[in-house]
Amino acid sequence: MLGSGSVRAPLGRTTIHVAIVISLAFALLAAAAGYWGVVEAPRLVRSPNDAAVIAAARTVARGLIRDRTGKILANNKAAADGAIHRVYAGRAISQVVGYASSVYGRAGLERAYDAELTGLAGDPLTDALAKFGADRYDPQDLTLALSWDLQKAAVAALGKRRGAVVMLDPRTGEVLVLASTPTYDASAIADPATAKATFEGLQDDPTQPLLPRATLGRYVPGSVFKIVTAVAGLGSGAIEPDSTFKQQPAAEKNGLLVDGYRVRDGHHPTTGSTPLDLIGATEVSCNIYYALTGLETGGADLAAYAKRMGFGSPLPFDLPTAISQVTNGDGSEPGGFTDDVELANASYGQAETVVTPLQMALVAATVANDGEPMQPRLVTSMTGKRSGTRTIGPQPMGRVISAADARAINAAMVQAVEGRLGRQFTTGAKVPGVTTAGKSGTAELGGTGEPHSWFIGFAPAENPTIVIAVLVEQAGRGAEVAAPIAGDLMTRYLKGAP
Amino acid sequence: MTAGATRSVRAPSQARMLGPIRPRPRWLEFRLLGLVAIALLAGSLSLGATVTGRFGLFDAQALLIYIAALFGAHAAQVLAGRRTDQILLPTVALLGGISLLLMQRLPQDLVTQTFFGATFGLAQVQLIWLLIGLTIATTLGIVVRSDRWLRRYKYTWAAVGVGLLLLTFVFGTEVNGQRLTLQLGPLSGQPTELLKVILVVFLAGYLSENRALLVEQDTRLGPLRLPPLPYLAPMVAMWAIALGIVVIQRDLGAALLFFGVFLALLYVATGRVSLVIIGFVLFFIGSAVMAVLFDHIRTRIDIWLDPFADPLGAGFQVVQALHAFARGGLLGVGLGAGLPEIAGNLPIPEVHTDFPLAALGEELGIVGVVAILGLYLVVIERGMRIGAAAADDFRSLLAVGLALVIGVQAFIIAAGNLKVLPLTGVTLPYISYGGSSILANSLVVGLLLALSDKGVEPPPLPRTGSRWRRAGRRAAT
Repeated sequence: MLGSGSVRAPLGRTTIHVAIVISLAFALLAAAAGYWGVVEAPRLVRSPNDAAVIAAARTVARGLIRDRTGKILANNKAAADGAIHRVYAGRAISQVVGYASSVYGRAGLERAYDAELTGLAGDPLTDALAKFGADRYDPQDLTLALSWDLQKAAVAALGKRRGAVVMLDPRTGEVLVLASTPTYDASAIADPATAKATFEGLQDDPTQPLLPRATLGRYVPGSVFKIVTAVAGLGSGAIEPDSTFKQQPAAEKNGLLVDGYRVRDGHHPTTGSTPLDLIGATEVSCNIYYALTGLETGGADLAAYAKRMGFGSPLPFDLPTAISQVTNGDGSEPGGFTDDVELANASYGQAETVVTPLQMALVAATVANDGEPMQPRLVTSMTGKRSGTRTIGPQPMGRVISAADARAINAAMVQAVEGRLGRQFTTGAKVPGVTTAGKSGTAELGGTGEPHSWFIGFAPAENPTIVIAVLVEQAGRGAEVAAPIAGDLMTRYLKGAP
Repeated sequence: MTAGATRSVRAPSQARMLGPIRPRPRWLEFRLLGLVAIALLAGSLSLGATVTGRFGLFDAQALLIYIAALFGAHAAQVLAGRRTDQILLPTVALLGGISLLLMQRLPQDLVTQTFFGATFGLAQVQLIWLLIGLTIATTLGIVVRSDRWLRRYKYTWAAVGVGLLLLTFVFGTEVNGQRLTLQLGPLSGQPTELLKVILVVFLAGYLSENRALLVEQDTRLGPLRLPPLPYLAPMVAMWAIALGIVVIQRDLGAALLFFGVFLALLYVATGRVSLVIIGFVLFFIGSAVMAVLFDHIRTRIDIWLDPFADPLGAGFQVVQALHAFARGGLLGVGLGAGLPEIAGNLPIPEVHTDFPLAALGEELGIVGVVAILGLYLVVIERGMRIGAAAADDFRSLLAVGLALVIGVQAFIIAAGNLKVLPLTGVTLPYISYGGSSILANSLVVGLLLALSDKGVEPPPLPRTGSRWRRAGRRAAT
């Protein structure tokens, strides 16, 4: 210890160590700035909580929204005090376009395209240059694939019933109709004077008018799901179009015994003792045939082919969609099924199977477009004063089944609408003078409630240009309610107004 | 060997040192200040163009006064003829200038103060503080030629510091849930800002004197070999004071700053990583216990972990700051074009004190943020260079400690803005609005300037050695 004070160990080395640590700490800060300013920025600047988004909502006139013919669906109106609010073309589009309210935020396309409509999100290059211009915001006008006339007709056809209609062009994925009922007056929510009373009234309404049933409603599909089973069966090679099951005719009387459970049918006594093939079974909507097809296909393939058409995850779409499922997936069997009983029941659309109307339209579109569905889409172009017009083209979802398999199901669905027996299950679905394909569904809900009425289909069958899915909640058999609505709307589209 | 004897031995050199004052040009500083002036004028032009739409300086008067003051400070140093650091002042001047532009750009009614019947807005008050700070830094840099007043009375300074802390504990007024502000008549200030300078002075004195002893390893604690226990006492005291600040002042940031600087200096002095690790472990244990005991600390930590859980409530301030960085992107939206107001309110509450970096991140972009961080690194680098070149341990540790105070504080608040650390209430040195902060940080610049001149009074001979020799002589006689 003696004299240690006079020996001076240099402090330079330890100082340099501290300098290195501090430099690394500052480098971490620079990295964090890069993370928030670049990596996370696209998410944050579009968030409805972003101050610029909120501020712009109060001062900037939002971009207009037009239908496919140029009819303005969402416009701006200045109130007496100078504040701008939205006015909408009518109630028929409320579930699609949604609303933009200073009090209740945004819904529908107004929410999904908030940043574009307020002009905050262009492409990165014009954004980088925007700061040098006088006008900070470049609101984009949206043009939709939606047809205002057809949409109004669909809402009128559903009437006072609760339900949904989806119509799309299978060749491009353009959604012409995305109707849900009951609907509501979005203009009254956008107008600050009437917003509170309107919105609170809607929230308390037990029929849930604010729910966009076409995209977020989840329903038991019943027999329309048989098309999914046919896709999986043919696609996986488990069946051929002319395959039959020899135990099927006998099972019509007493039911099909699966693991001790009886799958029952018995609603088509006229087919007698003939084993049915794909066309025959689809024409009379034979539960036994499809249960056997499902069992033959197996749970793994059924789930896999459904997934290719969009089941199991939100659909690639302009609006948020609910997830459609073949099974709730908690079973231990392949595909997530609990046992063969569930698989057999799911194969004709009962069990734990739930779907959105948009998903079922996509199933029909898969068949209509020869096995290769296109992504459904609403917005076809965006136009900004500064950024010009950006067109959003068709996007294939990937091939699901071969064109030959799709044609086989197409033929079966034609028989279900045009055949001698099929007509009875799909009354009114035929477009006069045009070969029409389709499948009706009657989704049993258990208990004493009326079943959901379903229809999916397309026309002309030879070269389909329109696909439709109709769901009417608890309205009875598919043939009675959904099928005629589908027929009328497809006729209207293919032949012009009746 | 007495101090008087030392002086007599060095008499010749002292005579040369105190000779007639000759002006000495400082061309490097002049050129750098020129660049700073150009940068600030460009910033003001950009701000003016954005806000008024015309090509012209924004509130030219305040900026020109500031630039004139910078060159005034430069001229004073030239005339004083000292060989002090020429990079420190321009670096800090740029930070202060950025602060002035930011305060000019914010709504002026965020802060209003009345001096002698005249009412000043945010930018004017900040300008006044900047000018006072500049005066303090320059004056210290010119006048201070001896460190004895710091070296000798380190325990007195420590007592003053503890006294300030106690005064704040007892008489402090609570602002935003933190008891940081001390009100004395018409003046109010945050003593912790001054306290951090006093802390460094004390630590430099204590550590330079006991370095050798702290390196000794004569206490065994399990596998750990620690310095003699009595010499660990100040360390434990520091720990207690830091946690006391957390509990009573509710000031997580100041505690982190004090303890961080303490550990860094301890490492510089002893080179022992084990002490630093023990210190950090103690601090984290203490903080964890605090988080369990006190709601406000737990809330802070919860907000830090996931501010987006409640983006419009508890996490609002932090989330809005992150949104500001996101809006700024790489290049920023431009001075004056950011911070969209919602119904007349700024998007980030307390932006002028707690979130200036977020505001600058939005308007100047990541490029601007990185540049500002770089400026702080320059300040740290100058401080450490001055420390490395200093004549003895005390001056070395003092210079390094002062630089660390700026660096660690800038890191803590910048990290809070960027969600790297929980948000705390410390200011961003030289940029945040606030008198206490600017004055204390100017004090740091002034002391660093004074320390950078090697022509000052030489340090006294090491006392430890002479005391032993004195004792030996006494025993012999």
